[in-house]
Amino acid sequence: MAKTNRLARREAAQAYIFLGPSLLIFLVLVLLPVLFSGYLAFTNWDFASGFKGIQWVGFKNFVKLRTDRNFNFALQNTFIYTVASVPLTLLISLMFAYFLNGKVFFQKVMRTFVFIPYISNMVALALLFRCLFRSDGIINSMLTQTFGMKEGLKWMSSNDLNKIPIILLSTWASIGYSMVVYMAAMQGVSESLYEAAAIDGASSRQTFWHITVPLISPTTFFLMIIRMIAVFKIFTSVKVMSGHVTSRGNVSLIVKIYDDAFGNYKFGYASAEAWVLFVIIFAATLLQFWVKKKWVYD
Amino acid sequence: MKKKKRTSKIITTVVIGAFSLIFVLPLIWMISASLKPNYEIFNYPIRWIPNPPMVQNYITVWTDETMPFGLMYLNSLKIAVFTIIGKLIISAGAAYAFSKMRFPGKNFIFILFLASMMIPTQVTILPRFVLFKELGLYNTHASLILPALFDVSAIFLLRQFYSAVPIDLSESAVLDGASHFRIWAQIIVPLTKAPMASLAILALVTSWNDYFNPLIFIVSKNKYTVSLGINNYTADVYVNMGLAASVSAILPILLLYIFCQKYFEQSIASSGIKG
Repeated sequence: MAKTNRLARREAAQAYIFLGPSLLIFLVLVLLPVLFSGYLAFTNWDFASGFKGIQWVGFKNFVKLRTDRNFNFALQNTFIYTVASVPLTLLISLMFAYFLNGKVFFQKVMRTFVFIPYISNMVALALLFRCLFRSDGIINSMLTQTFGMKEGLKWMSSNDLNKIPIILLSTWASIGYSMVVYMAAMQGVSESLYEAAAIDGASSRQTFWHITVPLISPTTFFLMIIRMIAVFKIFTSVKVMSGHVTSRGNVSLIVKIYDDAFGNYKFGYASAEAWVLFVIIFAATLLQFWVKKKWVYD
Repeated sequence: MKKKKRTSKIITTVVIGAFSLIFVLPLIWMISASLKPNYEIFNYPIRWIPNPPMVQNYITVWTDETMPFGLMYLNSLKIAVFTIIGKLIISAGAAYAFSKMRFPGKNFIFILFLASMMIPTQVTILPRFVLFKELGLYNTHASLILPALFDVSAIFLLRQFYSAVPIDLSESAVLDGASHFRIWAQIIVPLTKAPMASLAILALVTSWNDYFNPLIFIVSKNKYTVSLGINNYTADVYVNMGLAASVSAILPILLLYIFCQKYFEQSIASSGIKG
């Protein structure tokens, strides 16, 4: 008995050696910051004033958020980015996954074409999109010289339009990922179902809508959540495309948090904003799990 | 019948091919524009093949001493290498503890780790910034490497692979003789090279393309990463050089993708299916 005890203790000690580095980094760089951030959200702290400058203000930050116009613009824009980009991404990647799974020639080359933006540096892509969408850029030249529009559009400076290039960019850069996930899911659908459908005389369109789409709906659900969370945290594309000068038309939540924290050194307020972001992501995820029960096939 | 099928496949190829071409056209334009003088870049109709190609853009980007892009390249490479090696070793160790060892607090810690996946980096980044300032790690590459070493999804993925390796550790011979370290290093790790390769690729791409963390933690130009380097060319006068820097940043990952396509897609598919 004493021997097994000793062995168990030795194993536990060894286990903590294996786990140690991860655990240490988790405690110091994740758990501690989460707790500290939770505390900061209820304080007023100009980082430049040092630890002594931390003032407890209770819920004041959260109250202030409700009337902060820029925060509300950021919230609204982030919602629009999500609602526009996620369905677009899923639809296009579903289409590519379907056709690049044995229905065309040269599918490997095409797959590479669609995949490249996903692994490319976002700063580089955003810089490229700035060139395409600036007032004398390629898109406007195309619109005026090829499609006969009288004048180009203000893609970057108009608060009504400047979300569009960002939506296109984030969609373009994420389709490769969703396409690969969809392809894996489609290969998992049993061949016998397609054979049965073919015997019953189903057209390929019917097979797609009544077999493929319902059977891969868990994947659609997974991608929806993953993409939603990703777009909710949209930052680089907004920041770089706007040349680090965002407006109420395109500012996103993370950009606002970044600007408050590192532009104005309002660490308490920025922490409160970060927690609101977390709560929204969390709530949206829960909501989707609830909705999942109603339409996902499994 | 067969002939009809072939015709329809050709038509689909043309349509989908045109669609997928739209995806690379901006990138092809970028390469072409990066080889042009500034005043020619926005000319329309687009002249796809620059004549003569202005290789000078690349030479300037790579050798300019005020904006040492070559050095930033090396910095990014260094950060990626340390991150990959560290992350793989640390995650593999943790995964082994979670799948093959018994110790008090195991489930609690595991759930805590999983729960932390929900927390966006943006919540932890401000305290991390404060902490790094206090510890003197601000404006060092360690501030980018250290947080990246802890990766719950890597631990989780490897744990699943480890659980599939049938080793009965309750046998006393194992406990007395070979240590856990040897079982891990000599049996399990060699058996799970494929998921490790996928994780390495994923870690490389994430680290190489990261912008948010370097933007916050790095201020000195000689410590910049590639992402910060490109961002220095946003001014209008530098358009062609900015594009040359962008192409330089994308190219190594693209080449790697062409040679290790399998691992790229595996790294995604495994996260996708198990997610």
